[in-house]
Amino acid sequence: MQVKYSYLEEQFADVEPYLNDIRNLVASGDFTLGAPVPEFEARFADLCGLPHAIGVGSGTDALILSLKMLGVGHGDEVITTPNTFIATVGAIAMTGARPVFVDNDERYTIDVSQIEAAITPKTKAILPVHLTGTPADMPSIMEIARRHDLAVVEDAAQAILAQIDGQHVGSWGDTACFSLHPLKNLNVWGDGGVIVTRSAELAEKLKLFRNHGLSSRDDVAMFGHNSRLDSLQAVVANRLVDQAAWITEQRIANALRLDQGLSDLGEYVIIPRRSPNIREVFHTYVIKASNRDALVEHLIAQGIEAKVHYPIPLHLQPAADYLGYKAGDFPVCEEHCRMIFTLPVHQHLGSEQINYMIEKVREFYLGNNRRI
Amino acid sequence: MRVPYVNLVAQHAPIKSAIMAAVESVIDHGQFILGSEVADFERRFAELCQVPYAVGVNSGTDALLIALKALEIGPGDEVITVPSSFVSSTSVIMLVGAQPVFIDVGPDYNMDPDQIEAVITPRTKAILPIHLTGRPANMGPILETARKHDLHVIEDAAQAVGAEYNDHRVGSLGTIGCFSLHPLKTLNACGDAGMLTTHDARLYESFKTLRNIGLGTRDDCVVWSGNSRLDTMQAAILLVKLGYLEEWTERRRQNAVRYRELLSDLPQVKTPQELPHERAVYHTFVIEAEQRDSLKAHIAENGIGSAVHYPIPIHLQSVASCLGYGEGRFPVSEKQASRILSLPVYPELEPQQLEYVADCIRGFYRADNQ
Repeated sequence: MQVKYSYLEEQFADVEPYLNDIRNLVASGDFTLGAPVPEFEARFADLCGLPHAIGVGSGTDALILSLKMLGVGHGDEVITTPNTFIATVGAIAMTGARPVFVDNDERYTIDVSQIEAAITPKTKAILPVHLTGTPADMPSIMEIARRHDLAVVEDAAQAILAQIDGQHVGSWGDTACFSLHPLKNLNVWGDGGVIVTRSAELAEKLKLFRNHGLSSRDDVAMFGHNSRLDSLQAVVANRLVDQAAWITEQRIANALRLDQGLSDLGEYVIIPRRSPNIREVFHTYVIKASNRDALVEHLIAQGIEAKVHYPIPLHLQPAADYLGYKAGDFPVCEEHCRMIFTLPVHQHLGSEQINYMIEKVREFYLGNNRRI
Repeated sequence: MRVPYVNLVAQHAPIKSAIMAAVESVIDHGQFILGSEVADFERRFAELCQVPYAVGVNSGTDALLIALKALEIGPGDEVITVPSSFVSSTSVIMLVGAQPVFIDVGPDYNMDPDQIEAVITPRTKAILPIHLTGRPANMGPILETARKHDLHVIEDAAQAVGAEYNDHRVGSLGTIGCFSLHPLKTLNACGDAGMLTTHDARLYESFKTLRNIGLGTRDDCVVWSGNSRLDTMQAAILLVKLGYLEEWTERRRQNAVRYRELLSDLPQVKTPQELPHERAVYHTFVIEAEQRDSLKAHIAENGIGSAVHYPIPIHLQSVASCLGYGEGRFPVSEKQASRILSLPVYPELEPQQLEYVADCIRGFYRADNQ
């Protein structure tokens, strides 16, 4: 049996409606911030229960633009975690600021108990990452940010529709940044990103900043970037945005079935504690496993596209040399990088595929004797 | 008769099925990020620009940003450029934390090379000439000055795909060439897109790393960076359009020739010239006209679209007050800004439409004389 990581093949099963929309767009020539973009922005804002959404070139650009519009720049520090996709830290560095790492907890999100120790007079912002689709502890982070007068940008690239106590990610920080990369829960067919915010003022600034700072065709209000969500990608997003709720439900259901099928392998497989008040949306299904590399190899040999997100902690990447961190500085993150692996969890998986994955993991540890 | 200033509908109507076939072929393989069409397009674009290396990015602005980053230009550095341009050629210098240093343009709307040496300081790292309107800047003396002072030259060729200077394509002359393939450019994606070109293998590697979040390999991040990839879908569309570029450019050039024939005897109008060693590609066909605003209004009343590229020189934008240049500092740029007018010049312009535009302009000045 094959269990693929990507769901794009299924998304293309009925591609004609998308093609029709693209055909109409090409005929109209409305390519730059055309009508599909504000339409998508309004629908995405609604989806997140927030007043403002701004479509940009990528999730990474969403972070760069947010940080810059919150005043982060050369000489500043931004606190984040070393267990994230490299673009989180790339975005901080692109503003000229210095990334400062804090270890993560067993839920793969920033360990809030360690944030205050990392704050210095240069700290401008906290950038928590809702990794795997699990929201970071935003209430605690916001309290720390208020106490120290820091901006908060939520990296929600993997966390569309995640919630804490019924409140959406994106509604806590100054902004939240989403990626619409082709493998995200809500995707487009190229690079794309969205920023959401409660602040009308910040939304206005971000709309200027993503479009050369142009307040009219000829007037420049600020020196800006060019980072616009393509109309062509917005056309795709407008078809998929209605499916976001269903996609999320499906991923959560799949994850819970995997949890159930693997939870008694406690000696070999460690599943993060799930909390009823936290809605995790499972962009990735990540658990810890002993003998991880052999397990992943076994699963791949059995046709299951298991992966590791991510094998190298960011403080140990060559790009981080100048920051002066060393192995051992972030023990939880480093242990995770050795132990975590990712199983496919996408919305188009069938029960046979989920059962097959469970069976193959169990087989690896227990041989033919599949009960402990 | 109606003559819109741009007509993307007319451009796309005859090639719509080819574009849709390209889109479908991308969906068939599903490699939306750096799929094979990107590499194919990069190869073809490098050939077009007579360079060994070309790298696709998300926009012309990002191409300039990545060029500056690849040359490690940042806080404390100065970059010499001109105020007569689209704002992004200056924005990118500000965004990397460097200082833009302006000099004036000449009658060709491009950098006046004679003014470069006077503004070179120990902090100067690069010269950033713009091939505005699709006409190559006077690269000979620019490159000579750069060599003499050991400066990089970043060509802003956003408007000038295929333009030539002494038989050399723009983008092949300086250290780095930066192109925009925005929907209104002569080679245009159906969204934002940009390209970098270079002869330098190390810069090429650097571009590829910088546009893809600093990844050396799938898992090794060698430098923190942003994400600015040319979409596979746009690359596939551009491959279709590339097949028409020569034909489209020649039609633009013929339109320019025809405008010159029809307008050159008007003393109130100055048409753009093209010197024997130049090949201009007429992203815009910019005339200088007396009573520009009235002329623009007059032709608009007659159904003709026109535009001003650009009415406010960058040093006079309020955002540029921090640079400390006042009014009168760049008299040629300022005078041009009050006189220039861009006429429709796109390949799909019908000969009768072009003649009608010229007639309306002639009519305006005739009426004015009576």
